[in-house]
Amino acid sequence: MIANILDGIVLGLQFGLLAAGLTLVYGLGGVLNLAYGQMAVVSAMVVVFAMDAGVPAFPAVLLGLVAGGLFGLLLDLTILRPVYRLHGEARVLLSLLLTLGVAFIVDGFLNWRYPLKALNLFIGGGAVEILGVPMRRGSLLASAITLVTFAALFVFFRFTILGRAVRSVIEDEEGARLVGIDPHRMLRLILVLSGVLAALVAITRSMVIPVDVQAGFGITVFALIVAVVGGLGSVPGALLAGIILGIVSSIAASSIGTFMSLVILLTAAGVTILIRPSGLLGVKE
Amino acid sequence: MSDRTTATGTSAIGGVEPRISLSLPSLLGLIGAVGVALALVPLWVGDSRVLMGVAVLGLTFGCYAIGFNVIFGSTGQLFLCVGALAGIGGYGGAILADTVGLPIIVSILLATLAASLTGGLLSWIAVRRSLGVIFTGIITLIFSLTFDTLLLGLGWLTGGENGFLIKSGADSFLREQIPPYYLMLVLVLAFLTVHGLLRRSHVGWAFRALRDDEVAAEMTGIDVARYRVYGALVGAGMLGLAGATYAFTEGRISPNTFGFAQVDVVVIVMLGFGGIGTLFGPILGAATFTVVNEVLIEFGQLRVLIYGTLILLLFLFLPRGVIPTVRSLFVKRRATRATASPD
Repeated sequence: MIANILDGIVLGLQFGLLAAGLTLVYGLGGVLNLAYGQMAVVSAMVVVFAMDAGVPAFPAVLLGLVAGGLFGLLLDLTILRPVYRLHGEARVLLSLLLTLGVAFIVDGFLNWRYPLKALNLFIGGGAVEILGVPMRRGSLLASAITLVTFAALFVFFRFTILGRAVRSVIEDEEGARLVGIDPHRMLRLILVLSGVLAALVAITRSMVIPVDVQAGFGITVFALIVAVVGGLGSVPGALLAGIILGIVSSIAASSIGTFMSLVILLTAAGVTILIRPSGLLGVKE
Repeated sequence: MSDRTTATGTSAIGGVEPRISLSLPSLLGLIGAVGVALALVPLWVGDSRVLMGVAVLGLTFGCYAIGFNVIFGSTGQLFLCVGALAGIGGYGGAILADTVGLPIIVSILLATLAASLTGGLLSWIAVRRSLGVIFTGIITLIFSLTFDTLLLGLGWLTGGENGFLIKSGADSFLREQIPPYYLMLVLVLAFLTVHGLLRRSHVGWAFRALRDDEVAAEMTGIDVARYRVYGALVGAGMLGLAGATYAFTEGRISPNTFGFAQVDVVVIVMLGFGGIGTLFGPILGAATFTVVNEVLIEFGQLRVLIYGTLILLLFLFLPRGVIPTVRSLFVKRRATRATASPD
């Protein structure tokens, strides 16, 4: 049981990180980025190519993070322009359709040119025992990175002026504008941040399982579900929802098999959304 | 349309419904004309088994797009489970006919009923919890993923990844080269007629009112919840019937036949191209993209890239779809002519 819960937390931290970038962009700009998984995959491919070219792992990973951020910036500067002119559900819908197009372009290109590439950052070495349960070093490192990332996000949003400006836009775009905050600049910042987070998703994931060029849609869908369960726009919500869903999924997997665990995970997500459409830690609209 | 800030999601993307409604004869005439045009296709490609298969699939997607149009275009519910509802029809029909041993027609009808009720239930839940467009989308997406997982997991019933080989009807006209095409064409025309008549009836007026402004519709005494569920029952029934019929003409179905990427995404693009909420938009979109897909088939993986580019261009430059854009051009021309020569 302890083993299941620990596994669940490791998985859940991954889920939480997955959702963080997506949930921020939605909460801030009402933009649903369906190319989110492709952001992660593109960053992963940048790391792969850098390492193929002989760049050591750590700088290569940094390059991947930069690539993710640039992807976000590029989206903001190009196809999201017309999206920003709309409001409310129309904005969500157009952003969803346009980023779906981007997702197809990226997927099509990668599958055409590099169908077999995958990012693999396995961490070697024996298992480490925690509470008497052997854990893989890769999962532990991934979890540690995730925890540090969430802590950094927490500090950023709570204690820096820029972070507070971003939160003020999430709470009330008009109000923020009135006190002199430019929502579009905040949104650009958050898109870059979300790209970096997507890259981080790919990198931490590749420490446990390889991230191949087909991984994009799966990442997007899970990110979306976790984000909604946690409450769209809420980073702590994403973390909480991720951990809960991770534990549910891990316990279900060990007691009734992997395929039913996915069904139970999906059902749990669906039921949570129905009971609390605003999400676990979301603000009621 | 000028004031996009107050427009609800669907009307902003799909364009506004025409205020002029067609008279009954011209409605039926138009549907008849579409029928005649489509009926000529086998004269052209009837020799090729492959191309006839493509044409049948094209009509099936036409059916899907009409069903989705009834749900999303008319009542503003973003159902991201078109493939799953069609799959309930397809797999339901196949299991009832092959495993249970019911006659094909009974199996198809029961499976259609199951799909319709599932759609109605999803809609009822969404309405009761007053989920908006996006949350309805997410709940139905979760339903889609669950359905997909079950198809793969319940291998003893569905054949899992290998698919389901349907034995019923194997030596009937359903598996011949030409008849399935006309069978699907009948469905397309029937669906168009049902949707056309619905739009003319008081139900259609209620649909339009609740799509344009839900609160105003509620205030004028329209039971928004009830009409949404009606829309979903009818639309999901169409999806189930089309899925079941296609399954029996094809003879083999797999999770990919009804997969999210293979069905839902394509149907949204087709409908977006033709014009969400328009009567003939689904047919225009299905026909166009069936041809485009055939043309692009030699490009292999590059096809996905081209598809993505098309989606991008389509929603950037033609967000309302072809039919509403063309129609508003016509209306504008007529208006300028009327002001130029007042008589």
